[in-house]
Amino acid sequence: MHHVVLERWSRGASFLHARDARVKVLVLLTYLVALATTTPITPTAVAGYAALVAAASVAARLPLGGVALRAAAVLPFAGTFALFSVLAGDGARAVSLVSKSYLSAAAVLTLAGTTPLPKLVRGLESLGVPRFLTLVIQFLHRYLFVISEQAQHMRLAALARGGGRLRLTHAAGAAATLFGRSYARAEGIHGAMLARGFHGRMELLAEARLGPADVLFLLAGVAAATALRVAVGAAA
Amino acid sequence: MSGSRPGDTLFRIVLPWDSVHIPDGFLSTPVWLALDVTALPAIGLLAGRARRELEEARAPLLGVMGAFVFAAQMINFPVAAGTSAHLVGGALLAITLGPAAAAVVMTAILAVQAFVFQDGGILALGANVFNMGIAGVLAAWLPYRLWGGGGRRRAAIFAAGALSVMVSALLAVSELLASGVPVRPAALAFLLVVFGVSAAVEGAITVAVVRGIEKLSPRIIRHTVPERSWVLAVCGAGAVLLAAAGGLVASTNPDGLQWLGGQLDILGRITNLFAAPLAEYRARWLGSPWIAKAAAGSAGALLVGLICVALGRAAARTRSA
Repeated sequence: MHHVVLERWSRGASFLHARDARVKVLVLLTYLVALATTTPITPTAVAGYAALVAAASVAARLPLGGVALRAAAVLPFAGTFALFSVLAGDGARAVSLVSKSYLSAAAVLTLAGTTPLPKLVRGLESLGVPRFLTLVIQFLHRYLFVISEQAQHMRLAALARGGGRLRLTHAAGAAATLFGRSYARAEGIHGAMLARGFHGRMELLAEARLGPADVLFLLAGVAAATALRVAVGAAA
Repeated sequence: MSGSRPGDTLFRIVLPWDSVHIPDGFLSTPVWLALDVTALPAIGLLAGRARRELEEARAPLLGVMGAFVFAAQMINFPVAAGTSAHLVGGALLAITLGPAAAAVVMTAILAVQAFVFQDGGILALGANVFNMGIAGVLAAWLPYRLWGGGGRRRAAIFAAGALSVMVSALLAVSELLASGVPVRPAALAFLLVVFGVSAAVEGAITVAVVRGIEKLSPRIIRHTVPERSWVLAVCGAGAVLLAAAGGLVASTNPDGLQWLGGQLDILGRITNLFAAPLAEYRARWLGSPWIAKAAAGSAGALLVGLICVALGRAAARTRSA
């Protein structure tokens, strides 16, 4: 499954993997803002932004092909509206929609592919995201696989009993069963966590601390994205 | 919306792709900025409310329910003529967890989709949270709160599911149009038909699933007592205005090309509905039209946010009473 691959990527070792999550988030935001505000976007600008993402992926030792493939997740949506733009006679807009959304997705992947979610979430928390929300995100991510697997077990069981084409009520019954089981599981998890002294915060093995390399990366990343934005802005 | 395959089985093993998740690169800067600075703090308030409403540290429950929505999207609901759809889940969450908690769970789902699945943008997260997490949940919760306890319970649940999808989709399209994405009337009509069908399907699925849950685990469903208060009346009017604004944007767009130069100030027009005085003085207060647009948009969205907070408060009061 998709997030399992991403999980494996994020456990790798590289200069980017070792950087503080907060710093990476800030650099990503700078890049995304630079890209979003580059209007109209020229082929030179697209090449420049693509080069930045590619450089980050290489530095992180992520498979370039894999990143390119996964970023294609935006293409169904982007392609639909690009088609609408072409139909409305605005080819430039179509190119802009596809290239910007694709490059943004690739940039997000270089963050998600170098930062395990617990660290990313802790970084977001220290950047001001409420702890209750980050806690919900953590639990969601942890149990995504568990509940999905349960859904697949139910699918196998249904197929084994000859459940092929079914009616709406049958599908609703399956969803209701999954709901009830998820709810019961959640209550069990909650009880078990309270019994183990959970006090509303996930503990990491090591708290993140900003090192000189992090500050350097922040300055370099922000400077690169800003410089590119200024350069392509002047050229346009 | 979901794809359809011949020979659909009960479950669909593909990851959810929902067409109203706006990626980065689609919204103009005033639009995404305005929605980020209003939706994200609003979710902060709602997170605080949800934490206080539920017994302490119920984050595991909300997280697991978010995982459930992901997994439930694998389940194929047969619709008609061999096509099938999947549950979007905003209305189901609002009915089972209450509006504030549902908004938090939807936000967590959107964040995971954006970071892990590249489904929806990071800068556009505020827009997606506003469309689905705040307005969509509000649109689902209102009919359920008003009529969910009486004889029209099934109709109320249907309306909850259908309205949540319709309002989210209309808002997303309005934001795209306001950002200058050219959509010809024919394409717009196509989208509206698709959204209408999705909305009806989500309504039907929500009714069927809620009935199933009532049979299998009856204690989970929040049975509402019909109540009519001025707060709810204001919120209802707000929700209708919200939907109307989306419709207005859609209908006042005779030619997609006109949006190109950004000549039409649609964002301002939407804002007029919520905060007419602000729009009037906008130009005088702020020189730059760019900042003015963002500010006007923020104010309009802030108003909706305040309505949501008032709503959550009303909900908390009636629940504790």
